[in-house]
Amino acid sequence: MSEKLNSANGVNRRSVLLGSLGAASALGAPAVIRSAYAAAPIKVGVISPLTGAWTVYGKAHSEGFKLAVDEINAAGGVLGRKFEIIMADSKTEPRIVAEQANRLIREEGVDFLAGTFSSAERNAAGPVVTAGNKVLLYPTFYEGQQQKYFPGVCNPNIFMFGPVPSQQVWPHLPYMMKNHGKKFFMVGSDYVWPRVTNAVTKKRLVELGGEVVDEIYIPFNTPQYDSVLSKIRNSGANVIFLSLTGSDTINFRKQFVSAGMKKDFTLWTVDDEEVVTSALGPEASAGTYVSFDYFMSIKQANNDAFLKKFRAKFGQNALMDTVGVAMYNAGHMAAMAIAKTGKVSTDGLRQGLAGLTFDKAPQGSVTMRAIDNQAILPSYLMRVRDHWTGTGDMFEQVQYFPDVTPATASCAHLPLN
Amino acid sequence: MTHETVFHAILSLAIQGTLITFVYALAALGLAVVFGLIGVINMAHGAMITLGAYFTWACLSAGLPFGLAVLVAVAGVGLVGLIVEHALIRHFYDKPFETLLLTWGLFLILTELIKIAFGSDIRTIPTPLPSAIAFLGFHIPEYEALVALLSAALLGAIGLVFYKTSYGIKIRALTQNREVAGLLGLNVAATYKIVFVAGAMLAGLAGALMSPILSIDPTIGNIYLVRSFFVVIVGGIGQLLGGTLAGSFLIGGSQTIFGAFSSQVIAQTIVFALAIVVLRFRPTGVFKEK
Repeated sequence: MSEKLNSANGVNRRSVLLGSLGAASALGAPAVIRSAYAAAPIKVGVISPLTGAWTVYGKAHSEGFKLAVDEINAAGGVLGRKFEIIMADSKTEPRIVAEQANRLIREEGVDFLAGTFSSAERNAAGPVVTAGNKVLLYPTFYEGQQQKYFPGVCNPNIFMFGPVPSQQVWPHLPYMMKNHGKKFFMVGSDYVWPRVTNAVTKKRLVELGGEVVDEIYIPFNTPQYDSVLSKIRNSGANVIFLSLTGSDTINFRKQFVSAGMKKDFTLWTVDDEEVVTSALGPEASAGTYVSFDYFMSIKQANNDAFLKKFRAKFGQNALMDTVGVAMYNAGHMAAMAIAKTGKVSTDGLRQGLAGLTFDKAPQGSVTMRAIDNQAILPSYLMRVRDHWTGTGDMFEQVQYFPDVTPATASCAHLPLN
Repeated sequence: MTHETVFHAILSLAIQGTLITFVYALAALGLAVVFGLIGVINMAHGAMITLGAYFTWACLSAGLPFGLAVLVAVAGVGLVGLIVEHALIRHFYDKPFETLLLTWGLFLILTELIKIAFGSDIRTIPTPLPSAIAFLGFHIPEYEALVALLSAALLGAIGLVFYKTSYGIKIRALTQNREVAGLLGLNVAATYKIVFVAGAMLAGLAGALMSPILSIDPTIGNIYLVRSFFVVIVGGIGQLLGGTLAGSFLIGGSQTIFGAFSSQVIAQTIVFALAIVVLRFRPTGVFKEK
């Protein structure tokens, strides 16, 4: 819907530009055009998984950013200019992400980009934002930055609003080991996020005196988990550390319950937020541990106000999650950065975002660390309640740490900016 | 490892392999029937499995018990199959390539209709039997065992119909020589229709029975589509019983066995590579004579 509206706007704007400034735009002089239209909107290209395997996460992802833009525009915009979203569908495919990022930068002439969902998608967008010299605001919990995945990470143009394992997992390892045991069995999807997350988690777990009894990676779209479940059953593990994604996490967890194993193991997932837990239902999800920087049920004054606005716009039953909230924070922090530096440009955004604190973030206060473009975030460990009825009573807070400082990125050149 | 634990591990693998073989056989059976008997390569088979799962979910949401929900889902997908056959498929029985495109289009339409009717949110159904049978140190998931038993019974029933009833003789006659069967007074159109609807109902049944152990989303059936095609082609087209079982074992069971010794990624790759090797040396399937 909004995609249609926006692309229609794009066509109108383009045809106006072609009529009046055809020669200039053909020569590719966006700076000239922008100064000629001082009150023209600040264009943001948003890339969300609206179709494909991760459609279920796409809604909260795009809605978080839309809500932020509504609020920014209702307050008069930034520097007298409003934000305009140009939506793009990643179709959950890295190849499409590269295409769409190119289109948004070169055809739509966006000022910056927000979104992409998985690490594979972000890594696909990396070279494009580097070549086009645009900023990308990335919302998802991810594996952290290692130079070998440059330009998807360790990139001065990419800012990370989601938690890394040293924030999402490390703070809760002592609690889980003390209360549920030191032997972990790791099951994840076969791509970069689960593999690196597990490696980082394993390092800390071993330091704390724990042990990984086995690690299994599952190809996408695997329907049957009999052999994996049997390996877990015979492994002697205490805790199953789960980083499966999409429908695979649900297939696995349904079969885990159906195999009668729920009572014998503690399950800790670093993927299954409100959307997946809602889909699983109370019986299959009760008792599971989940850790993130944000949950709909956290008790924060900011969160109450945020959810009120979110529900008024997207409906009483709409689901929000860590990724959607990161998109919301990304929108507001971009606006703050532009206001602070007075410049709508890649340099202006980079300078403005570095060290910026947003104290209206739904999860409390969020700060963009200057050295490696990584957000400092809170970290919550939750347990899924028995017989929950909705997002309000789905998670029971086990422990909470405000302002968890992430491990410093392993990049070749720090600070990034 | 002692001999005892080795024996135990082998037996445990055999149990898992058997379960998964019958689950895959259930998923592939509808495709095997339609492909093998009337030569329609039904690309919409996956969408029909998905539809079966959604119908089951909808019936449970409306308060029906699980068993009844499964029956309604089977009837519902059968009805969709009947409509599709009558409106489209029956005009294309002589044209395998056209039916391939036609059913692919149908898959796209059904998938989009599912999104419109049910949304793209993931749904799930509570597992009717959420425990395992502990037996001599083995743990057999009750629900999956039930599905495997039903699948075995279904294969048996289809075998009976196919080889022991006059109807089976008619269908076999049709498969062997359509013109002569028609000349001898067999109602070819009606028989084709029944076979296609039966295939649709089997797909619906697979979706309905597997829905409690899967994520119900608009493309879930497609996870089984490629595997089902391998099952049917490796087993041998038209080899309903032995072929489907052998194919399912090769695709599902052997994956379990390889998975025990190597990573899941390697196991899945080996299985598909093995299937291709089998086809190289037995292009018409494991059981089919040249």
